[in-house]
Amino acid sequence: MVNSVPFGPTGMSVSVGDHICAFYRSSTGRDEILVPFLQVGLDRGDKCIAVLDQADPAKLRSQLETNTDPDTTDTDDQLAVMNSKDTYLKGGKFSKMAMLDFWESAVGDSVKEDKYPFARSVGEMTWALRQLPGVEDLLEYEAELNHFLLKYPQVVLCLYDLDQFDGRVVVDLLRTHPKILLCGTLLDNPYYLEPHEFLNRRAQIAT
Amino acid sequence: MTAETVVADDELRGQLSRLNALLVLSMLMTESTNEQQIISLGASAAPSFAACRLVGVFTHDGETTVWTPGDDEIIEAPPEILDLPSDGGAVEIAGSEWVWAYSLGGISTSIGHMVVAASQEIDQDGRFLLRVLAQQIGAAIRNSRLHQFERIAAAELASVNSQLESTVHALAQRIEIHDRLTLAAVSGEGMEGIANAVHDVTGLPVIIEDRFGNLRAWAGPGGAPSFSKDPPARREQLLRRLLREGQSTWESGRVMCVASPRPNSVGVIALIDPDRQARSEDLAALEYGATILSMELARLHTVADTAVRVRRDLVEDLLSGTGGTSAVQRGEAFQHDLNLPHRVVVFEGRGRTRDEDQFFTAVRRAARDFGLGSLLVARAGTVVLLTDRDVKWEDVQANVIRELAGGHCRIGVGGLTQVPDDFPTSHREALLSLNLINGKTGEHHVVAFDDLGVYRLLASTKDSREIEKFVTQWLGSLLEYDERRNSELVHTLYRYLECGGHYDETAGALLIHRSTLKYRLQRIREISQLSIGDADVNFNLQLACRAWGTLKALGSTGRS
Repeated sequence: MVNSVPFGPTGMSVSVGDHICAFYRSSTGRDEILVPFLQVGLDRGDKCIAVLDQADPAKLRSQLETNTDPDTTDTDDQLAVMNSKDTYLKGGKFSKMAMLDFWESAVGDSVKEDKYPFARSVGEMTWALRQLPGVEDLLEYEAELNHFLLKYPQVVLCLYDLDQFDGRVVVDLLRTHPKILLCGTLLDNPYYLEPHEFLNRRAQIAT
Repeated sequence: MTAETVVADDELRGQLSRLNALLVLSMLMTESTNEQQIISLGASAAPSFAACRLVGVFTHDGETTVWTPGDDEIIEAPPEILDLPSDGGAVEIAGSEWVWAYSLGGISTSIGHMVVAASQEIDQDGRFLLRVLAQQIGAAIRNSRLHQFERIAAAELASVNSQLESTVHALAQRIEIHDRLTLAAVSGEGMEGIANAVHDVTGLPVIIEDRFGNLRAWAGPGGAPSFSKDPPARREQLLRRLLREGQSTWESGRVMCVASPRPNSVGVIALIDPDRQARSEDLAALEYGATILSMELARLHTVADTAVRVRRDLVEDLLSGTGGTSAVQRGEAFQHDLNLPHRVVVFEGRGRTRDEDQFFTAVRRAARDFGLGSLLVARAGTVVLLTDRDVKWEDVQANVIRELAGGHCRIGVGGLTQVPDDFPTSHREALLSLNLINGKTGEHHVVAFDDLGVYRLLASTKDSREIEKFVTQWLGSLLEYDERRNSELVHTLYRYLECGGHYDETAGALLIHRSTLKYRLQRIREISQLSIGDADVNFNLQLACRAWGTLKALGSTGRS
């Protein structure tokens, strides 16, 4: 198994198991990251899972299928485009355990059955701005997600709108993600905190 | 590894994690061009770097001061902020034990402060991170302002460039218009050329009119446009308005411009534009066309004035006998072969008013109508014409009267010239004929020297002394009486004899009563001691009277 896979945006590569936090401004900036990330996955034969909040799922699927060869790619199965209401906020609340189970099912089932050698997932995180139960567990969820990433050959991309998230959340995200994508540059974060570290420090600061 | 080492490593890792986050946050802030976004993103991150809360951010840009509160608890800036040194310091806020204002930027480049509060003084690492955060916020804001300034400068530059481009384009168009119209002016194409050039440039039909509204030239698709002429008074009113405004003016579906190089020279150039499609550059082309038209009108008037002057000089030289060979050559310029036999014809008269220009114009038009040429000048109350054509001069005289719409006109026609040097002689003959008309009855308006009979013989005599002796012999006593008594006995005798001795006709010609005539004739008989009824005496008296009249006419022509 290879350790490096093409990322998509700006022609970069990422390592298997990377959890990437991408910051953008405006829907155009978002699509400039989202579309190439999935397009490369479709072209490579990866399982592609997109959970959208403000982007239009049908429009994204249409856009990706336009650039995909129908003879070699069965996008109906390879590409899963879902809505945050049916995933992150299923039942009108956020549950980090339920969401981790979702990923286990969505990614695990695809990879374990050898249907796909690799999975790439992307989540549009603006759902976390809604005042709904469980949303305050976002950073804990992001920290826990690092553990899940080690289980399967995969990468996960989290999309954050800088115009909507405040600096405190942004700093916490920067501290919990091993890789950061901003301004078209992929930055390594050697000092990112492991989930248990971050959660402990957060508890300390709170006290 | 001891427990202390583990704790130290853990602390170090935590600090490095925050530093790394601060570094990336700085990159995100620097990437933003919106000052409020920078403050919102950067300042709201303060609690992530130390156990504190954000009170607010105070910024100034040299003109305005802005306070951005951190939360809803404090909505007004602490007053001490304004008095703080640029590197910041402690601030008093009720309810908070420790409040600190961090400078946004360096000491000399501070653009405000970030104020944070905590329930107790935060540790050194936390204070360091907050100071760096504030500095990075200041750097990002300065960068944003610089970027904004450059963007405005670039926009202004683009605007200036756009205006410059428009100006250059307009200038290029004007140069093209000037080039095209100047070419029309110098190519000698006249008014047609000017109309064509303005039409080429504007794409609109063009007309050129004289001051009376007569079409002089046009250019455009289809046939010549026809417009009903305004009444003279209205036309003059329009021209005065155009001259007063001095620029193109819309009038009755046309945009008009007046050309007037001198007060008595006026032309109008106009675009036919009922839908008002003319652009500003079209109007500029029209106005420049008016300038070129002014030049053309001035040129035409100069040419006309020069032609009149040269023609007058030529005629004067011929009449004074000083023309010589050059006169013949100058005559050729007017398409006159002066070597052909010519006559000098003198017109005398006036219209209902004493307007010499009106009389000259009437004679010139009559000469044109009868094809008599254009060698004519006004001279000493008469108009002198040199022509190589013979016509029925009574018709010419009638034509002049018609032109004058009344008044009177007498014509003296000189004899034919054989060479140009004969013009003075023909002129004298014409004057003699004209003067003899005055001695005839009112029915005679045209006298040709060739038809003068004995007058011609008398006038042609080189030495008049014998004639004078003859006149004195037969009329001396009467002339002496007339001079002494201021009477008109000689003139009465002359009329009586010319009328063949008819009383009524003579009295009518002299405008006197028949009995007065009889009395005068009786006095003539008594003074002259002559029998008028005697055929021989009658002949000699009539000849003497005609000689007297000829001498008098010659005296009027300047010949002694």
